[in-house]
Amino acid sequence: MTTAIDTDTATDIDLLRRMRTGAVDAFAALYRRHQGPLYRFALLRCGSADTAADIVQETFMGLLTERFRFDPLRGQLQHFLFGVARNLVLKSEAAHGRHVVLAGPDDDDGPGANLADDTACPLARLLDNEAAEGVRRALALLAPHYRDAVILYELHDMSYADIADICQVDIGTVRSRLSRGRAALAKRLAGWRDTVRAA
Amino acid sequence: MMDTRNTTDRDPLFDALRAEVGRLDPPPGVEQALLQAFAQRHPAKRRRARWARWYDAVTPRGWTLAGMTGAAGGVLALALAFALQAPDPDHGTRTLAALDDDNPFIALDSAERIAAEPAPRMVAADVPRTTLAALGVPLTPENAGDSVRAEMLVGADGQPLAVRLSTLQ
Repeated sequence: MTTAIDTDTATDIDLLRRMRTGAVDAFAALYRRHQGPLYRFALLRCGSADTAADIVQETFMGLLTERFRFDPLRGQLQHFLFGVARNLVLKSEAAHGRHVVLAGPDDDDGPGANLADDTACPLARLLDNEAAEGVRRALALLAPHYRDAVILYELHDMSYADIADICQVDIGTVRSRLSRGRAALAKRLAGWRDTVRAA
Repeated sequence: MMDTRNTTDRDPLFDALRAEVGRLDPPPGVEQALLQAFAQRHPAKRRRARWARWYDAVTPRGWTLAGMTGAAGGVLALALAFALQAPDPDHGTRTLAALDDDNPFIALDSAERIAAEPAPRMVAADVPRTTLAALGVPLTPENAGDSVRAEMLVGADGQPLAVRLSTLQ
């Protein structure tokens, strides 16, 4: 038995097993492997760099303390971490009195009901690139459950099955949310583009 | 569950956002805080890392070999301990056992005379085999010059009363 493994090529499970035995290099490798995507998801999801950093920290702290217990038999660690981060975002939004729209059984929300609070921090400027910032702002105005699907699909290259696993919904719901989210986004961006052109 | 993801259908609308956001990472303070928390949670592991290094490097085959060697050593130590501590079953009785051989005494006098002897004593002596031929001791040209260890019951006057051959071969 040897525990000297290459942290670059080791699987998440191997690293997690070593981390639980006290191997700090395994924990650091896990963090470096997943921190970027988690942070970018949280950033786009909540629109605040500070909150996103807190969410990443709390996610890994939960993994470390086993407050959030990962079961390898139930899926990938990456999906588990995204799921934890998503729940922490929802909790943060609830704590800050944001308007969080939960998915209904038919997932058929009208455009007005889907909007996040326009006065919240997601609309503060985050990106220098104007086109990117425009898309980000439009994304921030989507209902949270649409935003999850669009961010994970378009910006994290995840499959419907991955998103279903993270959001704990079925694939049909993911497909529906993605379609509606894209449509709402296109509508908003059309208005934004008109404004830009007029200016 | 079939993956319906088609990587070619990514919306180009997000290209600029992908490029812009893809460069962002959490601030370094997050990793530092987590590593500090890890160190606090696993202090004992860190202290014994030096000890654990050789310990972890031993292969399962090595552990098996070490276990077998240890077990063999234990058995050897137990055997040695028993050998040193257990009383020798022959100790102090070897001479007596020779004297108390199962060979019967052969009377050389009458039973009344032997029974009437007030102070008989036992005498051990080497008796020439030829003198015992009359008692039925096998005698051949090869062993004619040998002696036979005999125990003799002797009366107070030195008269032999009975004899027992203890090393008859």
